[in-house]
Amino acid sequence: MSTPLHTEPDRAARQGEREFLLDVRTQDMEVNMGPQHPATHGVMRILVRADGEVCTGAQPHLGYLHRCAEKIGENVEWLQYLPYTDRYDYLAAMNNNLGYSMAVEKLMGIEIPRRALMIRTICAELNRIGSHLIAFGTYGLDIGAFTPFLYMFREREWMMALFEKICGARLTYSYIRIGGVFNDAPPGWLSEVERFCDVFEEKWQEYVDLLMVNHIFVQRTANIGVIPPAMALDFGLTGPMLRGSGIDFDLRRDMPYELYAEIWKAGAFQIPLGKGERGQLGDCWDRSYVRVMEMIESIKIVRWCLGAIEPGPVIADIPKTLRVPNGEAYVGIENPRGELGHYVVSDGGKVAIRCRVRGPSFTNLAVLEELMPGALIADAIAIIGSTDIVVGETDR
Amino acid sequence: MDFRGILDRLKTARVPGLLGADEPRDPNPADKKDKGRRGDPFVWVEPRELPAFLERCRDDERLRFELLVDLSAVDPSKDDPNLWIVVQLLSLAHRHRLTVKCTLPKAEARLPSSVPVYRAAQWHERECGEMFGITFEGHPDPRNILLPEDWVGHPLRKDYVFPDEYHGISCK
Amino acid sequence: MGLLERQFEENVLTTKVDWLLNWCRLSSIWPMTFGLACCAIEMMAVGCAHHDIDRFGAGAFRASPRQADLMIVAGTVNFKMAERIKRLYDQMPAPKYVIAMGACATGGGPYYKYGYTVVKGVDRVVPVDVYVAGCPPRPEALLEGLMKLQEKIQQSSVIRRPARTA
Repeated sequence: MSTPLHTEPDRAARQGEREFLLDVRTQDMEVNMGPQHPATHGVMRILVRADGEVCTGAQPHLGYLHRCAEKIGENVEWLQYLPYTDRYDYLAAMNNNLGYSMAVEKLMGIEIPRRALMIRTICAELNRIGSHLIAFGTYGLDIGAFTPFLYMFREREWMMALFEKICGARLTYSYIRIGGVFNDAPPGWLSEVERFCDVFEEKWQEYVDLLMVNHIFVQRTANIGVIPPAMALDFGLTGPMLRGSGIDFDLRRDMPYELYAEIWKAGAFQIPLGKGERGQLGDCWDRSYVRVMEMIESIKIVRWCLGAIEPGPVIADIPKTLRVPNGEAYVGIENPRGELGHYVVSDGGKVAIRCRVRGPSFTNLAVLEELMPGALIADAIAIIGSTDIVVGETDR
Repeated sequence: MDFRGILDRLKTARVPGLLGADEPRDPNPADKKDKGRRGDPFVWVEPRELPAFLERCRDDERLRFELLVDLSAVDPSKDDPNLWIVVQLLSLAHRHRLTVKCTLPKAEARLPSSVPVYRAAQWHERECGEMFGITFEGHPDPRNILLPEDWVGHPLRKDYVFPDEYHGISCK
Repeated sequence: MGLLERQFEENVLTTKVDWLLNWCRLSSIWPMTFGLACCAIEMMAVGCAHHDIDRFGAGAFRASPRQADLMIVAGTVNFKMAERIKRLYDQMPAPKYVIAMGACATGGGPYYKYGYTVVKGVDRVVPVDVYVAGCPPRPEALLEGLMKLQEKIQQSSVIRRPARTA
């Protein structure tokens, strides 16, 4: 608090003294970042307390996109809920569909046909690539590099065209259904996916050369926003946030679901980890590095599936009006952002009793309160971008 | 470890608050009303002992649940006088999961906060509190997180009435 | 423009001047970066090379509402956000336009029935010029919405006095 300028005018006037500003203290300024802001990746508001250019405190405020997904889950039928699952993490909609479908399938205890599992894995991994492309492109945009953003959309348009061929939608697919997938891949789709993989591998090298090893990008992201492993565990971080701090854990390998146990055993993919190559272990560069490397590992998984896929049914035999048996189940899958969990409770009816969604972005965002104090405002942008949040998932 | 192994360890280590366990079972053919139960096994824990229970789960060598994955609540039905708190734990070292549940009476839904044990619980408890009206004693910052500050009611309770309007904008 | 607005009778000269002013306005509508939810990703796709909104003159997305002409409300509006949308709309200088992109901004979208915090259409908060349907609308649909807005601007009378209905 600054002291008043004039303490006792009478005294000064009496004694003929001039008043001096004895105490020059500035107040920390509280600035609102958002909810409408080009770098907050959606409608999120961060109340930043700044002492000049240095951030002394940060408080994320959420809820600007709260769309009551969990209440809707208690009011619509099981299959009718599927389009809502697309819309929380809209950049990785296939993975969301997959998580919800797996939770309901666990309660139903049905077996998914093998071809459906293959197509699901291909779609989920392609969507992982798409999601990491956006994470990478918008991160460059936040830092100030506009070109990678445009380049990344080139590949993403192709990926969205592939998905449009298989299910008709570009962004919110509702394709992976309870029991399998909606319909079979049209003829020629699989060879087009293979062509995408071939071209993507060359383009991926372009991205690495353009942004990841770029001197300016490294300077802006290395040694910024360091998350020590103990802090990562305490905050419940998952996904690239955890692996960027060097903790070797990936649900696809360690608690495998669908076909991942088989794919891992075949040695088809690796799990990239942050190693502190360009700065401290667990900084923003490490997290970006994990995401970029995961894109190539996803290509390897897709190639394995393309090699092993065979004709067959694509959906299990489930009734039109689904009544899920009494019980409750939690299934957590590896979303591009972390562990996406669906906890469904059923009492045997047509409608769920509870459909809880554990969004990774919600949990990952909490770490901002610890990371931002002490950073410059420009670094704060880099930190927010490295958490790779989607506000549809933080708010649901 | 599988669920039986975790349960044995919880019992032998005398982890506080453990009330019992519930595992999936097939319907009893003799009883027509018994639907059986599918899905995941879980343990029932005394709500006042929840932070102590979670702390032992985190620190015990054989359990090592380093990650609090989820802390949420369920309102089973309008007629049920209780709410459930559901906690999902994950162990990276041993690669196992555990679901922990507590029952709270709806009329007085209070329990101690688990924030001292897992920092991840902070935002999950805020969300639980605003959606179900549960008070977490000792929580450092129990404001609304997803809903506006002056929202009336607890939306995820089964007896929630949808509002007619908010700040002059009609809800119909 | 304020001094000249709606001052003149309709004749050949004012019609031509109006045509010129409208052409200037519709060829350089600068949107505000206002993506709320999933539709924002399709809005980003419109801004990128494949669908290219820049060929319509609308490629300069401004972050500040004070520099923008157009607010594309892309995504679901909820009560917490509605007050901020009103404030942002008020901060935009006239002439300003609003496109409600997507089902959620048009009428609440899939959250219509059970979304307790969702505003059933952004037109309850700000006046909307064009509604673009879809969930999310294809980028081509958004471009069509922009073209419809351009047609609407073409019809407006800037310096002409609007025709009186007898």
